Amino acid sequence: MKYVGTSVNRVDGIKKVTGALKYVDDLKLARTLFAAVKRSPHPHARILKVDIAKAQSLPGVKAVITGKDVSNRVGLYLEDKTFLATDKVRYRGEAVAAVAAETKEIAEAAVALIQVEYEVLPAVTNAVEGLKPDAPLVHPDLGEYHYGPIFFPEPGTNISNHYKIRKGDAEKAFNEADYVVENSFFVPHIQHCPIETHSAIAQMDVDGSLTIWSSCQSPYAVRKALSVAFNLPLNKIRVLSPAVGGGFGGKAGTTLEGILIPLAMKAKGRPVKLTYTREDEFVNSFVRQGMHATIKTGINKDGKIVAVKNTFIWDGGAYTEYGVNIVRAGGYGSTGPYDIDNVWTDSICVYTNHPVGGPYRGFGMSEIHFAIEQNIDMLAAQIGLSPIDIRRMNGLKPGGRNATGQVLEVCGLQETLEDVVDKLNWEKEDYDLNKGIKPNKVRGRGIACGFKAPSMPNDVASSAIIKLNEDGTAHLLVSAQDIGQGSDTVLVQMAAEVLTIPPDKITIKTGDTDHTPYEWQTVASRITYCAGNAVVKACEDAKEQLMELAQIKLSVFKRDLELCDEYIVSKLHPDKRVAIKELALGLSMSDGSGIHGPIIGRGSFIPPNVRNTDKQTGQGEKPVAFWTYGTQGVEIEIDTETGKLEVLKVASSFDVGKVINPKLIEGQIEGGILQGLGSAIFEELILDNGVVKNPNFVDYKIPTSDDMPEMIISFIENEEETGPFGARGVAEPCMVPTPPAIANAVFDALGIRITTLPITAEKILKALKEKNK
Amino acid sequence: MKDFKYFKPSSLEEASRLLLQYGEAASILNGGTDLIVRMHEGLSHPEAVIDIKGIGGLNEITFDKETGLTIGACVTMKEMEKHPMLLEKYRVLAEACHSVGSCQVRNRATMVGNITNASPLADTATPLLALDAFVQVYASEEGIREISIHDFFVYVRKTCLKAGDIVTGVRIPNYDENVFGHYQKHARRDAVDLSTVCASVVKVGGKIRIALGSVAPTPVRLWQTEAFLEGKSLNPEVIEAAAKIAVGEVNPITDIRATKEYRQEIVGVLVKRGLEEIAK
Repeated sequence: MKYVGTSVNRVDGIKKVTGALKYVDDLKLARTLFAAVKRSPHPHARILKVDIAKAQSLPGVKAVITGKDVSNRVGLYLEDKTFLATDKVRYRGEAVAAVAAETKEIAEAAVALIQVEYEVLPAVTNAVEGLKPDAPLVHPDLGEYHYGPIFFPEPGTNISNHYKIRKGDAEKAFNEADYVVENSFFVPHIQHCPIETHSAIAQMDVDGSLTIWSSCQSPYAVRKALSVAFNLPLNKIRVLSPAVGGGFGGKAGTTLEGILIPLAMKAKGRPVKLTYTREDEFVNSFVRQGMHATIKTGINKDGKIVAVKNTFIWDGGAYTEYGVNIVRAGGYGSTGPYDIDNVWTDSICVYTNHPVGGPYRGFGMSEIHFAIEQNIDMLAAQIGLSPIDIRRMNGLKPGGRNATGQVLEVCGLQETLEDVVDKLNWEKEDYDLNKGIKPNKVRGRGIACGFKAPSMPNDVASSAIIKLNEDGTAHLLVSAQDIGQGSDTVLVQMAAEVLTIPPDKITIKTGDTDHTPYEWQTVASRITYCAGNAVVKACEDAKEQLMELAQIKLSVFKRDLELCDEYIVSKLHPDKRVAIKELALGLSMSDGSGIHGPIIGRGSFIPPNVRNTDKQTGQGEKPVAFWTYGTQGVEIEIDTETGKLEVLKVASSFDVGKVINPKLIEGQIEGGILQGLGSAIFEELILDNGVVKNPNFVDYKIPTSDDMPEMIISFIENEEETGPFGARGVAEPCMVPTPPAIANAVFDALGIRITTLPITAEKILKALKEKNK
Repeated sequence: MKDFKYFKPSSLEEASRLLLQYGEAASILNGGTDLIVRMHEGLSHPEAVIDIKGIGGLNEITFDKETGLTIGACVTMKEMEKHPMLLEKYRVLAEACHSVGSCQVRNRATMVGNITNASPLADTATPLLALDAFVQVYASEEGIREISIHDFFVYVRKTCLKAGDIVTGVRIPNYDENVFGHYQKHARRDAVDLSTVCASVVKVGGKIRIALGSVAPTPVRLWQTEAFLEGKSLNPEVIEAAAKIAVGEVNPITDIRATKEYRQEIVGVLVKRGLEEIAK
């Protein structure tokens, strides 16, 4: 292959590194109004009265809205939210009213004039507490909400989804196992911290058509949510996402757009803009849900795991419209990449009065693997197996079965495990882990496997259009969003490969629901696979049209023609050829007439044969489009007097099917490792009675370049049968094993187990002192 | 951010007059890395912002054997961390400057801004305490006066400065030999973070001096620990005992960054390590 598999430079690179790319906040539209939002000071309270009179009369204020203006419930999977609070507030920071004014300062002054009377209600500030029968109800009307058929809310409780796996007979297996062990873990809320905060502009024309510029991962999903919320037909809503400065899931679905629309409706044609502050980003956009895990495992003396019982209790926050699906993913992924015959899983999404949980790179897999992969190490220690051997024995292999009973034909897990073992010299006796170590320091190493599937509805759709130009260049239209992951480049490479047109002659256009074709969402590590398939199909469609015309032009059967370096060429007589550009607008005949017209290729794709699982047991033959497997190993160093932990080295290996762009995928893995490292040792939203105590980078730390370890990155390529060029997604999986690998290395170094994230110096020192008592 | 009046006086007299005129409603703007952030976050609402960078003579580092080293109020941390004289004679101070914020912050931020903020964890405060520095202050009535750094910090975010006072610089006495010992910063993250505990443990003129930050309402000098060490040779037992005294001499609190107990642990470790370095 000429373009696929090579490190083509990012097609958006020059604009990004020179700062020329315009993000939403950079857009300056004439006569823009600025929005500000009145937010709840209480985690849980009934709204008794909202008085906007003073705000409305402030000079410069053009529109004031309250929950009454947006009362339709919306949600991606469970329609449980309104864009502004109506009857009550469910988290501290929830929007209660909003203002559009001539300046930001006036808007903020007006917000301060809005008076809200509340009746404070007892709050649910712990998911486990929220399950108790006497817990306050966050959503008493849960029974009236609409939801997708694959979710299981329990009205009258705080449970918005209870996903179950019932495979084999776990109880019987526990009774027969040589050992039964139970371990508990906790993962706190964290935030995505994209470099660009959320930003949107909305404008409603006098004819009732609505335009939204939004920094979002999913223009079409935003369009649909707004259509439902505001009873507008889809052809009257245009969503543009001109550029996204990092998403990591936080810009999936909808957040601030819904606050702007009712303001725009009252703004008489003027655009209304809102850009989140960093504090807003921490509190009022999505956060990663917290999770309490308990894993009970039955294991035999030889190391074979015979049964697991998982209880995952998720702190879904005030609204779980999106979070219910994370909980589902946590359920069907609940064994991790291990082949276990008897599985009982309860994955439970609990409403709390915390910030809204939502998609975050990993979509539940990072959370459950922190528990699963430490548990595996704890089992290994108990029966005297090495962390590698227990994974060799129990880890998935081709032909094995996962938690849903799916038989896995393609599975490179063991290859990635051996790859990492090799890269870290794990089983080489002459390797000195402690080389050059200083006093008061100890070193350790840890390993963790991981897997992830795209967590999305079974029948999500993608599409692509390729238009050929008369000079032999082309335009590729998709609504897959380049949120930094490099999809623009990778999709161009795929188009280039099929059409034999060099990547620099193909311009990709994205993110405009009026002009670029449908894409469900840029989430779930699905773009290379789903949008990639649509692009390949569109280019094959264009190619087919070119062949039709070329066979007339060249008098050669279509079956004997091929594309080669921008020409359609006879396989038998390579001198018989016609340039693609000559046919781009159709075929001109010798008599001066023409046929066909411009070549426009069209491609549509839905992952084939993905079917629902059984409602009672969670069992199913193909519940997801594909699984991506991988392993990471780390070497760490700990200061035994201060507890300070430094990650020295990370080796990462994933089975990605096919590497489309080596440089880009390496960058993506490096970013994933760093994000995993951050969540492992730094990150936590510190919540106190529903209040986020550290909504800023002073006290919420993410890694800097200074924290980068040495990274050894490699890939296994077992082709994905239905993937474009055999590729599968790896965007999220690459941060999944990092935290448990670090936790396992802490155990290796010091013999202590840190079962809650983040693994801070203070926790390490405390555990070390307890151990040495 | 609320509207404010911006002044850029060209003399100390003028600046002091403006400060007196606006009283509590005035803020001095130097590097701006604290003030502007506080204004953005609505924590400070000055009516008048008085930029002292237009006043001549405040951006120099000078040295003579009689008076020692004088660092002007507008000298940036970046200039300090790479200044040859500091690196040679007062290295601990250069190291403390280098540990502040990011490169971008240090290009603007000044040491005088750092200490006048009077944060208990101000990175540059502990070397100044250890080195018996003097804060040079201008007031319109009395001209320039010197305040001992030991009298300068009063409480969290509070100094002994009066209305109209402008810190023009900091003077560190000349010591015959180079100051020996290092600045230590224990933080959650190595780069761009606030100190959980910071320490300057140095040897000057044959005496050991210890100052700590983020362990009390102000940065503190550990007089008792120093008195214990007086005349003793630094063997492991003495170091161990000194570290214990140090832990008892400070009074840290629990906050979002660490618990009191953890800070106490770290105080012991930093003092021990500082002394071990000197004993080498």
